[in-house]
Amino acid sequence: MGGPCEVLAEIAEESAAREVVDAVAACAWRIEDKFSRYRTDNIIARINASGGKPVEVDEETANLLDFAALMQRLSNGLFDITSGVLRRAWTFDGGNRVPSREEVDALLPFVGWSKLTWKRPVITLQPGMQIDFGGIGKEYAVDQAIKLAAQPSGAASASAILVNFGGDLAVTRARDGDRPWRVGIESLEPAAGAAPRAARLIDLAAGALATSGDTYRFVESNGVRLPHILDPRDGSPVRGAPRSITVAAPTCTHAGMLTTLAMLRGRDAEEFLATEGVRHWVQRQ
Amino acid sequence: MTDKDVKIGAALAVATCSLLGVAPSVSVAAEAEPKWDIDSAFLYYGESDGRVKDLSLSAHATRDFGDERTLGLDLSVDSLTGASPSGAIASDGVQTFTSPSGRDTYSTPAGEIPLDETFLDTRFALSGSWSQPLARLYTVNAGLGFSSEYDYQHIGANVGLTRDFNQRNTTLSAALAYAQDEIKPVGGLPLPLAQMTDAVGDDQTPGNRGDSSDSKNVLDVLLGFSQVLGRHTVLRVNFSYSDSSGYLTDPYKILSVVDPVTGELVGRTPAPGASGPTGVYLHESRPDSRRKEGLYAELRHDFSSKVLQVGYRYSTDDWEVDSHTLESRLRLPFGESSYFEPHVRYYQQTAASFYRYSLAGITPLPEFASADARLSDMDAITAGLKYGHMTAGGNEWNVRLEYYQQKAKAPNEVLIGNQIGNSQMPDFNAVILQFGYHFKL
Repeated sequence: MGGPCEVLAEIAEESAAREVVDAVAACAWRIEDKFSRYRTDNIIARINASGGKPVEVDEETANLLDFAALMQRLSNGLFDITSGVLRRAWTFDGGNRVPSREEVDALLPFVGWSKLTWKRPVITLQPGMQIDFGGIGKEYAVDQAIKLAAQPSGAASASAILVNFGGDLAVTRARDGDRPWRVGIESLEPAAGAAPRAARLIDLAAGALATSGDTYRFVESNGVRLPHILDPRDGSPVRGAPRSITVAAPTCTHAGMLTTLAMLRGRDAEEFLATEGVRHWVQRQ
Repeated sequence: MTDKDVKIGAALAVATCSLLGVAPSVSVAAEAEPKWDIDSAFLYYGESDGRVKDLSLSAHATRDFGDERTLGLDLSVDSLTGASPSGAIASDGVQTFTSPSGRDTYSTPAGEIPLDETFLDTRFALSGSWSQPLARLYTVNAGLGFSSEYDYQHIGANVGLTRDFNQRNTTLSAALAYAQDEIKPVGGLPLPLAQMTDAVGDDQTPGNRGDSSDSKNVLDVLLGFSQVLGRHTVLRVNFSYSDSSGYLTDPYKILSVVDPVTGELVGRTPAPGASGPTGVYLHESRPDSRRKEGLYAELRHDFSSKVLQVGYRYSTDDWEVDSHTLESRLRLPFGESSYFEPHVRYYQQTAASFYRYSLAGITPLPEFASADARLSDMDAITAGLKYGHMTAGGNEWNVRLEYYQQKAKAPNEVLIGNQIGNSQMPDFNAVILQFGYHFKL
């Protein structure tokens, strides 16, 4: 999940707590195994290695593809699950390597949702194209884990539970005594000591929070920090994006899409979030 | 982008619920907590030789209303006590002065720099400001401030605008501030260069006083530029312009009148039956306008958790006071949750054109004259160390200890006769001790 995963729960009985933790962990591993682009034996690997042949996908993958198709349309092509190919030219390791226009242009024929065919339940990629659910998967996993943890038949059905996968998180409800969960967003400013410092504390009583940012991943070019978000329409990094965006929404997937879409708007991120009318917290510089 | 104003939230909510197989819900409850961020401090400032002491309590509070709208409030209370140099020079004999009220006298022992012992004041200050985005890339802020001490009232307003450029790596800002201050000195406003008179009774006004109060107006303009120079470095450059007009004189400062040849104090005998000054002392007089320009440059560099800040300021004005300030801070992490921050500052200025160590006779009198050492050639050094500790709850307490040393020197051309090589300036050292606590509510 690209970061530490944790479950916080207010459950008196140890066996019930264990059941929740096990269920969340199983859910995280299941989604990781099924959709990770780093594996060679899952549905993503099968689609990406299809070499232009149609691939029939299962119900859950089809739902994610429907969702990705809609997001691509709603964002006018800014959000695109085929853009991962561009990573071959860009390495966001904090170094200074900026690829040439030619390197990027050579990859653009393999990028673009409109170049693939999606007719549920069959997807057909052009040879050389790839998809990945990197921009959705973690938040989707948080929501699935929360759903599982809170299911009525479970031992902890009405308990207060927080699921956090690498900074994206959701809660089942407020803590006992109607107290909110207190969540810290890591500051971009240097900490006083070695421990990270919270830029902001957010009280979350219902719903989810997702955070997107370049705290660790960036390329520096002529003194300008280029964040790790790429515009799939021309392969260039989105300029002027904030260093960190946090959004609150009813579900983690919803919040995560808004942080990603806001990042893709670059310098217009705040304007986008204000227009959407969602609770958000932005850190720049 | 052509799709700027098309809201996608509703479609996104439906799509998400359908993807997750959950019932549509609008249930989200997230609030930035805490709402208030408060920086409070208790400060002790003490000058050597029983001079000015300041005990100060202050709090700076900011409230985040989300969407980058913030309210700032500042409150401070200062209690000032002690003695401050009157401007008169030291003498071989005991000197007697009439106090600022014009109704009492006090004496200074032989060889000592005369200090006005009656210095005592309490100051309250309150200010508030509001900041919010105005349009894409623009932020606007505005504020009001007020302060009061028993002989001085200040009211001020300011407004500023910042705009981001160049992928928000460059910020330009412009700010305008206007203040109106009212000065109401004890015993009324001394007339410019009027002689200090004998003490008068409680029901009388000294003959050298004019109106009971006067005012001054200050207009400040600030133009700022800040540039991100790579991931770890930020450069800030400010240009400032300040135009003060009105009553700019210090009503409590005086000058000694000396023999034009020897430079020795001219003696005076109080009227029979009266008590009063034993020398000739004139109240100071400053021009009624002052225009200052300043340029400030600051570089901040972050060396993986160590942060170095170096700043330089040049300031010049039409009183011919030119100053240079060099200042640096270095923040060094210490352990998991503490830091040390050494601080040094060096300040140097040239004397105002009307600065006088003393006045040679009373004819002819210059139009403007002041013996305030703060308008002389002067330099000052500050050196200090701050230690801060982050508590488990995310609050910070800190303690700062600083040493300040101010040394003035009267330019040779204002010294007369025996004063050359024998001038005494009211130099002093001061200690600053501050306890700070930064917490959230």
